[in-house]
Amino acid sequence: MTDLSKIRNFSIIAHIDHGKSTLADRLLEECDAVDRRQMEQQMLDSMELERERGITIKATAVQLTYTADDGDTYALNLIDTPGHVDFNYEVSRSLAACEGAVLVVDASQGVEAQTLANTYLAIDAGLEVLPVINKIDLPSARPKEVKAEVEDIIGIPAEDSPEISAKNGINIHSVLEMIVKDVPAPVGDRSAPLQALIFDSQYDSYRGVIVYVRIKQGTVCAGQEIKMMATGAAYRVVEVGTMSPMGLIPKDALGAGEVGYITASIKTVADTQVGDTITTAENPATEALPGYRPVQPMVYSGVYPADGAKYQDLREALEKLKLNDASMSYELESSIALGFGFRCGFLGLLHMEIIQERLEREYNLDLITTAPNVVYRITKNDGQVLMVDNPLDYPDPMEIQLAEEPFVKISLIAPQEYVGNMMDLATSRRGEFKDMVYLDANRVELHYEMPLNEIIYDFFDALKSRTRGYGSLDYELIGYRPSRLVKLDILLNGDVVDALSFILFADNAYPRARKICEKLKENIPRAQFEIPVQAAIGGKIIARETIKALRKDVLAKCYGGDITRKKKLLEKQKEGKKRMRTFGTVSVPSEAFMAVLKLDED
Amino acid sequence: MPFLSRNNKTPLGIYIHVPFCRSKCQYCDFYSVTCKEDRVLDGYLDAVCSHIQEAGMLAPGYLVDTVYFGGGTPSFFGAEGLAAILSVVRKSFDVAPSAEITFEANPDSVSDRLLRRLRSEGFNRVSLGVQCDDDVILKKIGRPHNYEQAVNAVKRIRKAGFRNLSVDLMYGLPGQSLQDWEKTLKNVLALSPEHISCYGLKVEEGTPLYAYQQFYNLADDDTQADMYLSAVEILQSFGYRQYEISNFCRRGNISRHNLKYWTGGEYLGFGPDASSDFAGRRFAIVRDLQDYINGIREGGQVLREVQEVPNRERAGEYLMMRLRLSSGLDPKEYESKFLLPFGPLESVLNRFREQKLAQKTYDGRWHLTPEGFLLSNTIISDLLVIQEKCKPLSGKRR
Repeated sequence: MTDLSKIRNFSIIAHIDHGKSTLADRLLEECDAVDRRQMEQQMLDSMELERERGITIKATAVQLTYTADDGDTYALNLIDTPGHVDFNYEVSRSLAACEGAVLVVDASQGVEAQTLANTYLAIDAGLEVLPVINKIDLPSARPKEVKAEVEDIIGIPAEDSPEISAKNGINIHSVLEMIVKDVPAPVGDRSAPLQALIFDSQYDSYRGVIVYVRIKQGTVCAGQEIKMMATGAAYRVVEVGTMSPMGLIPKDALGAGEVGYITASIKTVADTQVGDTITTAENPATEALPGYRPVQPMVYSGVYPADGAKYQDLREALEKLKLNDASMSYELESSIALGFGFRCGFLGLLHMEIIQERLEREYNLDLITTAPNVVYRITKNDGQVLMVDNPLDYPDPMEIQLAEEPFVKISLIAPQEYVGNMMDLATSRRGEFKDMVYLDANRVELHYEMPLNEIIYDFFDALKSRTRGYGSLDYELIGYRPSRLVKLDILLNGDVVDALSFILFADNAYPRARKICEKLKENIPRAQFEIPVQAAIGGKIIARETIKALRKDVLAKCYGGDITRKKKLLEKQKEGKKRMRTFGTVSVPSEAFMAVLKLDED
Repeated sequence: MPFLSRNNKTPLGIYIHVPFCRSKCQYCDFYSVTCKEDRVLDGYLDAVCSHIQEAGMLAPGYLVDTVYFGGGTPSFFGAEGLAAILSVVRKSFDVAPSAEITFEANPDSVSDRLLRRLRSEGFNRVSLGVQCDDDVILKKIGRPHNYEQAVNAVKRIRKAGFRNLSVDLMYGLPGQSLQDWEKTLKNVLALSPEHISCYGLKVEEGTPLYAYQQFYNLADDDTQADMYLSAVEILQSFGYRQYEISNFCRRGNISRHNLKYWTGGEYLGFGPDASSDFAGRRFAIVRDLQDYINGIREGGQVLREVQEVPNRERAGEYLMMRLRLSSGLDPKEYESKFLLPFGPLESVLNRFREQKLAQKTYDGRWHLTPEGFLLSNTIISDLLVIQEKCKPLSGKRR
């Protein structure tokens, strides 16, 4: 066990793209935690998807061994955090395991919305926040001004903050020295009853659940009987140890102040809830550590296997994924059109896309996802209040006394030349202007209140494109407000396809209905007969397209040499058909569902 | 189907691929070369003859009732070569006296001398590539002849004594309108061939047409469909019965050789890129002339894609091939041949019947209508989806 005074537990927080993962890589290199030849870009972002998208999705922890200028050797536990606005929840989980946070700020872009949001999370968690000015190698870098911004806007001292370039490895040493000097050493009593906070977990098919913990009090070692305080589940510890970038390193014991893992042949995923406290059976702690505020999914959508027979596979995949991502929720639902599937809750649209991609890649599933939906509050005439996260549950308009939708307060930050563009965007999304603040001579922060529904689709992308990538976004829920809502139904060949229905603001219904009909027309293959594609509110048709009948699908020549080829062709066509869902007489490929989701992309 | 039984032998078709052309047509993806050096021609002739001899020894129980020289352009290869190959076929196999012996020809390479020679060797059917009656279009698609040459070729073919002539036509050609196509049909009908094949132009990957398709004014699918249905109607009214998706004939002059492909008959192919379905196996020959010549000369491997076709797969092929024919498929034959239930397929077919794409005859056979032929890939793949789920019939029902 490492002496408490020689341990530093810290996170790196930043706005997306300010260089958090690159800095993490450099710290790993500097401490020789990884062989430079084996160094892959963004070591901590080990998920294939994370590396491809250049973002961090999930928290990961790693231990570095660093010999400081004072001659002592320190164990630095770095707990990585995601930067996207969707993943605030993951950030707060990571922060609870730390004493300090390195705040990375881009030397040319300065303070952005997530810089603020994440800093406040860290301050709320009682962490020491240490600013670092990154990307000083850029021609547009203005470190002095950015330091002043940090002091003015956030209100933390930044005068002596290291000016670094993570990309080029400049001044990395000073960051490590700062961590040793300014992050407080953890406190705790290693002989006290065990209190270990679960901040993450992962399923391994050989070892069962691997639980990542921060030991707050006491000591844990192999062979001990442990108990999960919230679920009451008990296990015998098989192994404890620390995480290195190259894998898990077993240790004899983990003591207060340390960050590490525990395995205990845990097969039941639900037994290890992130945020729960682990204690020992022999000498249990009297109370659990404060857990995390349970996360509220903001966006819901139906997730179905493209092949109805794969329902069980999807269920198992979701169970395992939930272990890695506590912020997702799911429950069984069934649709007339799609059969059995799950209603899943997500933190935002990026989160939803990522979960879907992980299910498809890591679990080899083909999925159909229905349109994302926020949670509406509907008061019926009889006074009953419904929380509707699924269009299928939307009551008859005649029964509705009051319909309300969730509103958020959004903060937009960008250079002032984009203020007009941002205002146009916010107004077009039913945004109500609140105020405008000049952060400095050039940059402006706008506040709006708008329906959550308006930002879950593509707001972030639209903002980026209208501000040439400079705009940043943060939002928080501010409650429900009355709204005029309608449920839009889509009919194919005269039959309602329940899985394509969704709820929206009445004034948006016409343009959206037209677009959906167009998209479906593009994505549904022609059939032997004409297919009307219609959008309706109640019984009233408000948009229509027609898919012309297919008249020619034939191989004119089929002689000796063509037979094998024709067989392959028909085989392919047959496989394609198996992947389509049939609604009445119309076959719809899963791409059509996706196309409806990406309505605003062109 | 003609079934010639000499001592109860199994009928066999022989296909000879003659891979030589004067020039490549823009749309063609059959294997052929434009070289006409004696060394190459002789090399091919030697190879194909020894290949036939070799195979003949392995097929003693077969009676050859069709021989088909396709290409390429067999007429361009010349009478001597074709005659030499046919005589090796006769020596190596038991060829029925009444066998149908066809060669493909282009209007620019059928001299009176060639026709007389082949007729006297026993060739009794000519398949002439005419394509259309418009010289501008013929030139665009790279045909080495004009329409007048085609008309003269028909006269010469008749004069040489051929009583079974087939003409190949194409629709959906660059710049061709529905009216143009109907005019081609009427002009060709005046030549009164026994057999007409009408092929919709398909732009195949790797052909010159594929690379330049956007520069041609090609008919869209709907126009091709109109052209097809119009051909069916016109040919019908002139006494040509449609017996396959693209094939029409008068007075029962179906292509007996091609019928083998659609009814699961056995056939052996010789020459580069030729295919065979023989003794339960399907195989093809390498698609390169020099590889073929070398392979035969040195006793090396000339086959590619040798496949044992399991019965279950044959059941799929049965649907795929039989539904190309106007005679369609026989549910009783299907069930007894493959021990699979026909019921599930019939419910799919009933759906297509409602859409006037399929018909059931008084004796229970199912066939597609001309509109159904146009959508045959869609229909067959629907059937295959259902067929895949079918469990074999239990022993009791046999």
